Amino acid sequence: MAEDVAPAIQYLHNWGLQVVTGKTVGLKDHTFGGTDAERAADFQEMINRKDIKAILCARGGYGAVRIIDQLDFSPLKKYPKWIIGYSDITVFHSHLHAHVGMASLHAKMTEGFPTDPSLFEPVQLQALDTIRRALFGEPLQYSVPASTRNRLGEVEGILIGGNLKIIETLSATNSDIDTRNKIFFVEDVGEALYSIDRMFCNLKRSGKLSHLKALIVGSFSSIRPDDPQEPFGKTIYDIVWEQVKEFNYPVCFDFSVGHQKNNVALKCGVPHQLVVGEQASVLTQIQAG
Amino acid sequence: MITPPYLKKGDTIGIVCPSGYLPAKKTTNCIQMLTSWGFRVKIGKTVGHQHHYFSGTDEERLADLQQMLDDKNIQAILCGRGGYGLSRLIDQLNFRQLKKYPKWIIGFSDITVLHAHLYRQVKMASLHAPMAAAFSKQDLTSVYTLQKALLGKKQIYTCAPHPFNRDGKITGPLIGGNLSLIAHLIGSPSALQTKGAILFLEDIGEYIYNIDRMLIQLKRSGVFDKLGGLIIGGFTDSKDTEIPFGESVTEVIRSQVQEYSFPVCFDFPVSHDTANVALKHGLPYVFSVSTRKISLKEA
Repeated sequence: MAEDVAPAIQYLHNWGLQVVTGKTVGLKDHTFGGTDAERAADFQEMINRKDIKAILCARGGYGAVRIIDQLDFSPLKKYPKWIIGYSDITVFHSHLHAHVGMASLHAKMTEGFPTDPSLFEPVQLQALDTIRRALFGEPLQYSVPASTRNRLGEVEGILIGGNLKIIETLSATNSDIDTRNKIFFVEDVGEALYSIDRMFCNLKRSGKLSHLKALIVGSFSSIRPDDPQEPFGKTIYDIVWEQVKEFNYPVCFDFSVGHQKNNVALKCGVPHQLVVGEQASVLTQIQAG
Repeated sequence: MITPPYLKKGDTIGIVCPSGYLPAKKTTNCIQMLTSWGFRVKIGKTVGHQHHYFSGTDEERLADLQQMLDDKNIQAILCGRGGYGLSRLIDQLNFRQLKKYPKWIIGFSDITVLHAHLYRQVKMASLHAPMAAAFSKQDLTSVYTLQKALLGKKQIYTCAPHPFNRDGKITGPLIGGNLSLIAHLIGSPSALQTKGAILFLEDIGEYIYNIDRMLIQLKRSGVFDKLGGLIIGGFTDSKDTEIPFGESVTEVIRSQVQEYSFPVCFDFPVSHDTANVALKHGLPYVFSVSTRKISLKEA
């Protein structure tokens, strides 16, 4: 709803930015922010306008894949801009990487901005501030405590990734993610363990885990409970490990990306260094972008 | 396409559970009926066996299915139930003996993985048909279609006209199964190649938005581009989001395929419900849709 973006607008003003609100904000066509045509037109206008330097998606949900093939991304080649969001917005990150070669920002959306910042935990405010730092070109570096299930190592590569379910449903389409030689991150929300396992099978069987520089596993939150009579019997760590144990690239668990308070801004398509060490994992952007 | 030999009385059907756990007592009626049809039954180690969610560890499930595939004294393999698990095994199965001694592999739901893989990699027909639970139902109509299929009797299936049907007639290989799994297999070595084929789809317990998303994946990966025909079965217990999606499952499907011209029929008796007739996956069928009559018969 329109009033829901007010806190984000206030926040962006405080950062010294001006805000143009798209026509689809507050618009409703059943589950969507407007009809396909309305949403495509709104996004296209944001792409086309030279005076708009970044597009912040208000929320994910479902619908990006219904308009992706109708959008003309060619203006972005001349006038690139940051496209910001995650979850369903993974469709854009993946498609932009495949077709425009433009970096984009995997980060919180307007619904992640507080009405009253004093009610937000420091970790949420810090996560929001990473968007500011990313947008203003400050170099990004994130450190998370080591998980005992990590596989150690140090690599450099282009960072790419997003929501696992979206990545699976883009498989073999013209928005398919190319993970070869990448630092690849995944996260998801509200899936059952068997379904997460099946999606990792898809990643493996479609070759997406074979030639990575590294794998970053974010949060898998609100996992749908198993039938108590038939618990799945494997944790996220087990599921991932079974699919990557035959390779030797570093694997970092518990990274601060996902449907959670600590969801930091990640520049998709930009080279990073990842050090998975004994004490901590550190992801560092190594090129201005 | 390799067509396994049809069965005769005295032949043996092996029962395995390559995916989820199935309590042994749920196979009683199934075994009784297969025996009454004149078949012998061999029970695999995974039937009634449990390892958490699964009917055994990956190694146990793999060994059981592999043994059944390799056993020359077994003429068909009935999967006890679906659930989830074949994606974890499929690349480790060895089909060399099966190619030498083809046999019918029977099941649906998660077994779609096996059907698709057999079609794509082994080039062998298989049977998309009821599993153990169906033998305990009141209405055994679909179960009897399995008996006829195993004995090599050709069958013609029909269903009631539906306002969203699209007329047409096509002859082509019949392939398909569970939509979630067909979408999940896209991009893998088991993905279905659908050019000229008659594709059938069913699913259970999916959100309408997710059905829409999967159909878009099928569309965007080219599944519909040269498709011969589309058969929509049951989408049992579909769910909607708190803010309604705004279209029913049938409306979603109609919208996603309206730009094509192949024949389409809805409400075909293939589903997780009682109506789930035996379909010979990979073999040619004639699919005909007109305003008053829908038929699917073996070519």
